[in-house]
Amino acid sequence: MERLQSSVVRTPPNSTVVQRRSKSYRQSYRSCLGAPSRLGLTPGLTARRLNSSRRALKSHVITEKVNPEHLALLVKTEWRLSYVTPLHQFRHTQLKRYSRQLSAFIAAEKQQGVAMEVEGSQSGFRVSFSVVQGLAATDDDAETVLIQIYSTPVFARQDEPQKSVWSGWLTCINGNPEYLESLPKGFTCLPLFGGSGAEVLTSLVKSWFQRTFDCCFGPLEINHTSLQWLAALWTNCHTESNLQHLKMIWTLPVVPPLQVTYTVNPQDAWELWMSVRKDRLERTEEEAEAGSIDIEEVVRFVQGLKSHFYRHFRLDLSAGNLNQVSTTLGSAKSSGKIKISNSRYMITTLTLLTECALLKMPI
Amino acid sequence: MDDSARRLLQRIMRRIPAQMLKPTLDKWGRLTAAQRQSMDFTESKWALTEKLLAICEENEMTVKHITELEMIHVIENPDHCMWYALQLMDPEEDVHSVELTQFKEQFKSHLRELIRHVSIKIKKHTDEAVWIRIAWGDSFSRPNHLKPTYVVHHLQTPYVFVTSLTSKLKPLLSQALVLSTRYQAIKDASLSGRKLTAIRDLLMRQYQQVFPTKYPSPLAENDQNASNILINKEQAELAASRHQKAREAFGDGMLPQLQSAVYKLETKFRDHTNKTMTEREEAFRCVVKFASTNLLESLRHCASSGIASTPGTSLLSSIPLKGRNYFVITDNSPGPSSQTRQPSN
Repeated sequence: MERLQSSVVRTPPNSTVVQRRSKSYRQSYRSCLGAPSRLGLTPGLTARRLNSSRRALKSHVITEKVNPEHLALLVKTEWRLSYVTPLHQFRHTQLKRYSRQLSAFIAAEKQQGVAMEVEGSQSGFRVSFSVVQGLAATDDDAETVLIQIYSTPVFARQDEPQKSVWSGWLTCINGNPEYLESLPKGFTCLPLFGGSGAEVLTSLVKSWFQRTFDCCFGPLEINHTSLQWLAALWTNCHTESNLQHLKMIWTLPVVPPLQVTYTVNPQDAWELWMSVRKDRLERTEEEAEAGSIDIEEVVRFVQGLKSHFYRHFRLDLSAGNLNQVSTTLGSAKSSGKIKISNSRYMITTLTLLTECALLKMPI
Repeated sequence: MDDSARRLLQRIMRRIPAQMLKPTLDKWGRLTAAQRQSMDFTESKWALTEKLLAICEENEMTVKHITELEMIHVIENPDHCMWYALQLMDPEEDVHSVELTQFKEQFKSHLRELIRHVSIKIKKHTDEAVWIRIAWGDSFSRPNHLKPTYVVHHLQTPYVFVTSLTSKLKPLLSQALVLSTRYQAIKDASLSGRKLTAIRDLLMRQYQQVFPTKYPSPLAENDQNASNILINKEQAELAASRHQKAREAFGDGMLPQLQSAVYKLETKFRDHTNKTMTEREEAFRCVVKFASTNLLESLRHCASSGIASTPGTSLLSSIPLKGRNYFVITDNSPGPSSQTRQPSN
């Protein structure tokens, strides 16, 4: 959260620079969110944060739309997240060429002496780019791209299945339409990157992308507001899919550091969540609001959990950092790792993460 | 030397760290001077293991001798497995007359009555603790020396610490302990941890305690953080009283190194801002686990830095007060401040 705040203070002097560039270069994401601010000098102060309200987690049955193999891979792995700036001249039709180029790049780096800890140092690598059809939520979203790296041992039999040593994907789900439309021609926006496998291969893939498409990668941490959103959104789904537990891990800044794991029975968590929603729904009469969740409800939900804790232990969890939220639907760590264990909620979780990635991008 | 003895020796050699090999073997005392000289302790552990196997073959050692070596190692380094505390209850009249030889004989004979194939080794360590190594067999098979249970009992106290014990064997051990120590029952003390010394110190209150006094002497503050004199003057008194309360609740100086504490909460949710939940009849079920490399040190720091308020009455101070690290809290159980432990004699 500190980063967001400090850059809010920074934006006023920069905004004029951005405005001048915006005619020929892509617009700053932030200036898109606050439309009137484009003309004035004050940046969209109100816009520089996550959506304060979002649609409730709808379960999208995507198993029919998406290749089951791809889905199985996406669901069973824990991904390390990064944000990516828009890619220049990326073509979804050229994936075979990209596969060959990336294989060659990895082989070349290996020859130059980059150490690879992948087992079987004699093996080569085969790269496969593929499109994951069916995940894109709107017409503006670019199709998700999946990258897999297989190790090809030197003395492999013909029919031996190749072992996948690394996988990654680039995606954009429900990206902000104003921003996407404002991108100049030739740029594809796939702001969210997830990778799983050897760190060496991840950095090789990233440097290849950076060279080929003139983009920038950066680490994407999941800040505590997003973690609270995920806790609330997942709890909201308890009636549809049994959560089994809502687990939150905090770290308190004492010497030596104290880790608190707070696991709540899912039914009780759900009732607490519903009680918070009920209060709010009673106050606003509009039906249209019923489907969406406000940040205040999320905050009140987590505050309720914290105050129950305080009543017993006299320890205020706000003094610490929320590091991890997990349920059977998935787990999210503040270091930027996500695991989505249930395909029904993939779209909505990825929407939240896409938003985080778009916000964190430096331009 | 049979196969099980070889396997046991290999396993023990893997466990003992390289620098402890020579002292442990010397303590064991089963090698002749010539054999001791022939062991070159700069070689790799694998080579040393082979050498030792050969020497043991030469000396025709059996499993019994090897288990001695294991016991020596475990007594020196008890911190590699999980220990669980048990407490003996309802002493009989002659509990104070139990002394070492009587306890040893009684324990062995009772346990052998309960289970036929069992191998027991009892050793008295220097600090009044009796160490027992038990290898369990059953009516068909010989004792399994690869999965022994270690038991530590301090005579004249009601406390017993055990390592891994299956639920099938626990009642047998409990029975033997109860009969040989002249108590009537034994219960789980809800305290577990990796460091035997830590849970023993916690349970037997062998750390520096601070008792509440009406006029505590002022603490000597160190002046490293004297950045702003006015702020320090304001805060000094508050900080001093927080420090004092923290020390009263958790103790002074080096605290036993407990690693975790688990609270199972089954109390009602009460929050004046949330009417619906407060009116709810059922309990709000959750489990809270605190973990740290030195849990009591962290909690004391929480209290002295103000992150935890009123440490004396909170559930956290029950850990040193009651000597437990597993609690089930319901609405009907008495509050933490109203109970103290009976002093052990």
